[in-house]
Amino acid sequence: MAKYTEMAYDDAEEMVFGEAKEPVTYGHGPQITAGGGQVFGVTKIAPRPGAEARPEKLKTEFRKITKTILQRAVTLGFPTQEIENEWVHQMGENPVEYAQEPAIAQQAAIAEEFADEYGIATATTHTIPDLRVSEKGLRHGQDRESYYPEKVIGSFEIAAENGADVLKIESSGGMELADYGIQRGDIKAFLFGIGYLGSIDMEWLWSQIVDIAQKNNVIPGGDTNCPAANTAMFIAGGYLDQDIARTFSAITRAICAGRTIVAWEQGATGPDKDCGYEGPIVKAIAGKPTVMEGKDCSVAHADLMGNLAAQVCDGWSNESAEFHEEFSGWSSGTWAEAVGYEVSLMNTAKELGEDKTLRDIYMASDRYRSPESYIIAYDNAYKIGEAMVEEGDSYYRRSKAAAIKAAELIEDAQEQGKLQLSAHEKDTLEKVVTDLRALPEDEDKFVEECLNEYGDLPKFNPKNYGL
Amino acid sequence: MVKVSAANLENIFIRYDIKVEQEATPEDVFNEMAPEEEPWRTITQKLVFLEDVTDEVEKALNKHEPEDVINKGLIPGMDINGELYARGIYYLPQLILAGDAMGKGIELCEDAMASKGRTREAKGKVVMHAAEGDPHDIGKDIAAAMLKAQGYQIIDMGRDVPVEDVVDAVKKENPDVVTGTALMTTTQTAFPRVAKRLQEEGIDVPFIGAGGAVNQSFVHRFPMGIYADEAADGPSICEAVKEGKTWEEIREEYDEIVPSAA
Repeated sequence: MAKYTEMAYDDAEEMVFGEAKEPVTYGHGPQITAGGGQVFGVTKIAPRPGAEARPEKLKTEFRKITKTILQRAVTLGFPTQEIENEWVHQMGENPVEYAQEPAIAQQAAIAEEFADEYGIATATTHTIPDLRVSEKGLRHGQDRESYYPEKVIGSFEIAAENGADVLKIESSGGMELADYGIQRGDIKAFLFGIGYLGSIDMEWLWSQIVDIAQKNNVIPGGDTNCPAANTAMFIAGGYLDQDIARTFSAITRAICAGRTIVAWEQGATGPDKDCGYEGPIVKAIAGKPTVMEGKDCSVAHADLMGNLAAQVCDGWSNESAEFHEEFSGWSSGTWAEAVGYEVSLMNTAKELGEDKTLRDIYMASDRYRSPESYIIAYDNAYKIGEAMVEEGDSYYRRSKAAAIKAAELIEDAQEQGKLQLSAHEKDTLEKVVTDLRALPEDEDKFVEECLNEYGDLPKFNPKNYGL
Repeated sequence: MVKVSAANLENIFIRYDIKVEQEATPEDVFNEMAPEEEPWRTITQKLVFLEDVTDEVEKALNKHEPEDVINKGLIPGMDINGELYARGIYYLPQLILAGDAMGKGIELCEDAMASKGRTREAKGKVVMHAAEGDPHDIGKDIAAAMLKAQGYQIIDMGRDVPVEDVVDAVKKENPDVVTGTALMTTTQTAFPRVAKRLQEEGIDVPFIGAGGAVNQSFVHRFPMGIYADEAADGPSICEAVKEGKTWEEIREEYDEIVPSAA
């Protein structure tokens, strides 16, 4: 499959929420057109602990989740409502019992009912859990204990065959190296894990997902580097946290863009996975629609870019919130409302011809709040994209180019006095830049060095990546 | 694009972390706390400045008992790192790197003890695992590093560990504390199953439950469960256990014992 070697947009200024170069249409009723001129809302609610005890119980839980989201959307007059399910482990372990009827078929039927009755555009997205564990094996035939690679691919088939509109995953290839790198501030380990190994794993995974989706006429959406770059962001936290530096976390975000875009190179169409904060970078390169989350994911984590995340999104989402009762009803409804009103604001700005003004206000409010928000501000995301496509033919070199460009952007903004950095953030950035500049130009040499340096890590098995 | 410079950003957000930044350096804290006597000072120095301690430990073992190398060189070094972390001067990666270095030093000391027919007495023993069905274990790894740095022996069972395997490990190892981490709402339901099975086996051991989607109300719902919000809470909870407090007492005095509760 061809890799991206040029940008979809001529200029960063072209990018705005609700519009993508390559819109994608799916769902029930009037249908959702991701990137087709309006932003759509995505609500995501996790079943309560214990709901997975029996398939029947899980079915009841999903029925309530789905209905309460759609009821709130209709109650408040929202024109679109997507429901996303991040499958719990038990669904991936036994998709026929726990996912097929309880979640996929039932939700599709309810989404269709609401579309028929009220004319609301509805859709269901299924995010399959990446159960795979590197120690056991990531590819078919390697894990003879849990058969996780086979179960993951089998789950996509079941979702596609039983009513899912969009398929997504937060795949975890390279996570074993990324975890090691995050804990030790070792950017080389992260680059090897995510930029290189993760990209190889994405090829393996997404070529299969795209085939399954095409065979069943459903949308292969996309991926995100949640298990690595989001882990770094989560651990870096806010101003009171001191676990890892936010400069390190920001560079990991740039690296992961090189990995995430492999899904689209393999034929996925977008919209990508909502917790992909690398969305602005990959959208700038590919022009495919992206779903984002920011302030409405505060139930799960603090991200220091609550508004900025909305700047160029096509779908706006919350983060998995537990299903429980609030004063106004079920949490599913309250999150549908919070997300829906944000979407209304964006779409009103579009109707008034003020969307680029709102985009800029969203962006400006968080631009200098953290290094990570700074590098995904759409103009900087575009610059990182440009650095990547120049090296588009090599997974290693393009992720490294993204990392170096992000580091340079942060350095420049800090030198200009605009982006404030703590002493620890500065020290870490300096070390990261030194480490990145010391890396070889040649991909084979880099891989050889990394295999020597990290080859003995207990969780790492090169065979998982065909090495 | 709008002129972002037109906005007074100080009215929009404040970098509180920079406002309260410590002026003290690792050198300052090292000089305040490090032992004066050699070779302990050099071993401590290596650990604090994240360097390999192997040569210094090997040299020290030629003249000193391995227990002394641990107690007078390695542990004071980690104490200084703990202080640097507590003061906001060091961050997690420094603790982990120092922990890696200390681990190598401890290994050499343990080998030396074994050659003399002795074994190391750890501060306590902790069995750790990521819940059945959960492949996310970075939190467990960080918590393990923090406990190791405090002198605890860790039995790390890895991730996606079946309930029965946890029970078997607890029966075999007889730990002071068992821990479980989970990222997903429905994998944490393995915790009460572990607790139930331990009860059936007649075992009463404090069971720290932690992780992304895990909360206190869930963990304190099952017997033995003690919630930890952050990896850094682990040593304080284990300390309370070593002082003889039961899991019921730790829950009762939670806000006083667990650092993140405050």
